[in-house]
Amino acid sequence: MARISIEGLDVSFGGVRVIDGLHLEIPRGAFFTLLGPSGCGKTTLLRTIAGFIAPDAGSLRFDDKDMTHVPAHRRGIGMVFQDYALFPDKTVFDNVAYGLRARKLEPAAIRTKVGAYLERVGMSGFETRYPAALSGGQRQRVALARALVIEPQVLLMDEPLSNLDAKLRVQIRESISDLQREVGITTVFVTHDQEEALALSDRIALMNNGRIEQIGEPEPIYTAPATAFVADFIGAANLIDAEVLGPGPLPDQVRIRLEGRELIAFAGGEVATGKAFVAARPEDLRFCADGMETANALPGTILRKRYLGFKISYRVRLPTGRAIAVDLHGRTKETYDEGQSVMVLFDPHASIVVTR
Amino acid sequence: MIPRQMRSVWFLLACAILVLLIVFLAWPLINLLSASVATVKGTNQSGWANFFAERKYSEALFNTLLLGAIVTAAATFVGVALAYFTARFDFPFKWLIAMLPLTTLIVPEVIAAQTWLMMLGNNGLITTLLGSAGIPLPSFYGWPGLVIVMTFIYYTYVYIGTLAAIRGFDVQLEEAAQSLGTSPAESRLRVMVPVVLPAILATSLLVFTLVVGNFAVATILGHKVQLLSVLTYLSFVSEVGADPVMQSTLASASIGIVAVVLFLQRWIISRKRYEIAQGRGARATRLQGLPAIALAAAAFVIVIVSVLPLVTVVVGAFTHTRGPVMYWGQFSLASIERVFINAPDPIINTLLYASTATLIGIALSVVASYLVVKKRNALTPAIDYLIMLPMAISGTVLGIGLVVTFNTGWLAMTGTAAIIVVAYVVRRLPFGVRNASSTLYNIPNSIEEASISLGVPPLASFCKVILPLMAPAIGAAAVLTWTTTVSELSASVVVYSAGRETTPIQIFRLIDTGLNGRASAYGLALVVMILIPIFIAVKIFKLELFAAKG
Repeated sequence: MARISIEGLDVSFGGVRVIDGLHLEIPRGAFFTLLGPSGCGKTTLLRTIAGFIAPDAGSLRFDDKDMTHVPAHRRGIGMVFQDYALFPDKTVFDNVAYGLRARKLEPAAIRTKVGAYLERVGMSGFETRYPAALSGGQRQRVALARALVIEPQVLLMDEPLSNLDAKLRVQIRESISDLQREVGITTVFVTHDQEEALALSDRIALMNNGRIEQIGEPEPIYTAPATAFVADFIGAANLIDAEVLGPGPLPDQVRIRLEGRELIAFAGGEVATGKAFVAARPEDLRFCADGMETANALPGTILRKRYLGFKISYRVRLPTGRAIAVDLHGRTKETYDEGQSVMVLFDPHASIVVTR
Repeated sequence: MIPRQMRSVWFLLACAILVLLIVFLAWPLINLLSASVATVKGTNQSGWANFFAERKYSEALFNTLLLGAIVTAAATFVGVALAYFTARFDFPFKWLIAMLPLTTLIVPEVIAAQTWLMMLGNNGLITTLLGSAGIPLPSFYGWPGLVIVMTFIYYTYVYIGTLAAIRGFDVQLEEAAQSLGTSPAESRLRVMVPVVLPAILATSLLVFTLVVGNFAVATILGHKVQLLSVLTYLSFVSEVGADPVMQSTLASASIGIVAVVLFLQRWIISRKRYEIAQGRGARATRLQGLPAIALAAAAFVIVIVSVLPLVTVVVGAFTHTRGPVMYWGQFSLASIERVFINAPDPIINTLLYASTATLIGIALSVVASYLVVKKRNALTPAIDYLIMLPMAISGTVLGIGLVVTFNTGWLAMTGTAAIIVVAYVVRRLPFGVRNASSTLYNIPNSIEEASISLGVPPLASFCKVILPLMAPAIGAAAVLTWTTTVSELSASVVVYSAGRETTPIQIFRLIDTGLNGRASAYGLALVVMILIPIFIAVKIFKLELFAAKG
């Protein structure tokens, strides 16, 4: 188990900067997720930590040991690959024993350890099978056992769930989480799936264009996105042009002009006056019937209504003509129809001012 | 820094391979090309001026191109028709056609040419039979023989390429076209043909280059038809004194033709390769009645004609002969005895040289393709390019290049067995590399990285994880390399020296003197040498030989 410290990391491929002056501190034993769209540099960062990519500049340390120039096979990492990367010509047992044999353990010790870890991932009894005879989920469990059995300092996982179907993904996700807590190993997990990130992580780093946009625990990332990118990437958010006018009635509130009206919104930190965005999640918005004069609301017209079972999804046109999404609970008694004029309520705590 | 060192293991290997390729391939070629612009003995003309001035040479150039065009057209017609009908229809005896790829592999060109002569030559079995029945056959030498024999040798290339393309075609596209209102036939024409066409064009052009470079059939059957490859060889062995400038000029001319064609081929492939997203192959339509009988008969004829050389050579080996006269129907073991007991040297030589060349060639192929596919560095593009170069040069040209270059100097190899092995290795290298790299592309990088992440150093990871996965492909490539190496004639006939005759060279010489009985016996030995490894690979090791080909 080790703390990972990254300082001033630069990685480029063929002149293109993929990771740009990145600083990151991953605490000991944390489940740390690198989240972001494809091409944001998250996999490159993971592979740099693994030692498969040599950085152009910067340093990487596990605890106090400088790892920047240590070759991959001497870093003491366990890695789980997106396509499992099980050795197809070796049985489940031989796959898991591979790293132990490389470390020249006694056969008896190898047998015990392999057995123990296969048991842990729920794959006892599959020792003599070949990878081709396993399902996707089973392969992923074996890959996990193979990575953990060598008792690495850090566990690196590159989108390990992306090749599984939705139900299995949740199942394996839970077993990864349990296992990680049980072993207590520092884990770096790469994904583009925000639900996975929110469900699994102690901390999430949201990456974009080779930089970290925001880093924090799942809840603040969701409830208090720092940038328009984060707000848009995590959950669906309406991003509406706004102008910050000045401080609001409460310390973390500001007055804004939105679609020609003055509203109160939430601001996580210091916000300069002037142009900004307001991020409002569809499920945080409410309707009330037109005509009622309401504070912190904008008038709108319902363009479209979609019944989705657990929610009803509306598309609403605001005064300037821009359309936003509003979600109501599926069992709500309120009925609003297409063409109807409504007031859209912006909860001051859930309407977040973010920088452009 | 250790990562740099680990990389330099691959870098050093890349250096070593590049040096080998430059010495044994690039240097001989450069020698050859530069000699072609020198002045011809006894004149003050350069080789090229002479080439375009003398009628013999321009005639050879014209004939070579014409023969290339005719054979390519004929082979493409036969190959495409056969591929289309076997892919889309079911008819009796269709399984016979599956043997076709095998026949090109196991019947060396020299044997094909020889056996056709034994049937249709001036003293051929069919010629004499029909002659005695009062039906005179026109001479098989010259154009008829060249076109017929080469067509039946080369159509399988088109057949294999086209069949793969048709099988890979997503039949839903045709259904989509029909749903948009075109008739089934029209849909096929407008949707399938454009998608399959690049594959057909690519294999046709390959056939063209093979015809241009063909030595065995051209020399044995060409007779009075002047051809570039024959003239090149003759200018090399000429008794009146080899003409180094003309042989280089002629060789360069054929390199030029092939280079243009291969460039065209690359261009077509890169411009017109369509990705078929998901495939649902067409189900073959079962034919009945007259069409079924017609197709079965046509397929039967093609298969029989393709397999006939094999039958002829076996029967010929056991037929009683006196000098050049074959007494068909009377059997004797004399030829066999003579070849296997009195003069087995060509067989022993073949076994020795071909096995050495196969081992070296496969080792080089594995390392080179690993470097090119998985460990790219500044040198690997050059390796990638050079290693495919032998595809573009005929065996005769390569052989002359080697002899010219290694005749004297610090690496004088002319007259040794080594130069034969070098010729073998260089000629078959593209073949082995193509086989090895196609499997490497299918092995994901993550497998190797998984091994490294578990603590095994890169070189050891390659040996422990990648090599075992490549083993079946290496085995298949080795067998295929072996079969094409033991039957190699055009380069070895140029570089060999007395006492180092290989089996194909001996067959070639015996045909020249008309001793077809003994030639058949050597032919039988050659076919056995080819078939045994194939048999072992397919039956014992269950290797998929023909998936690797193509």
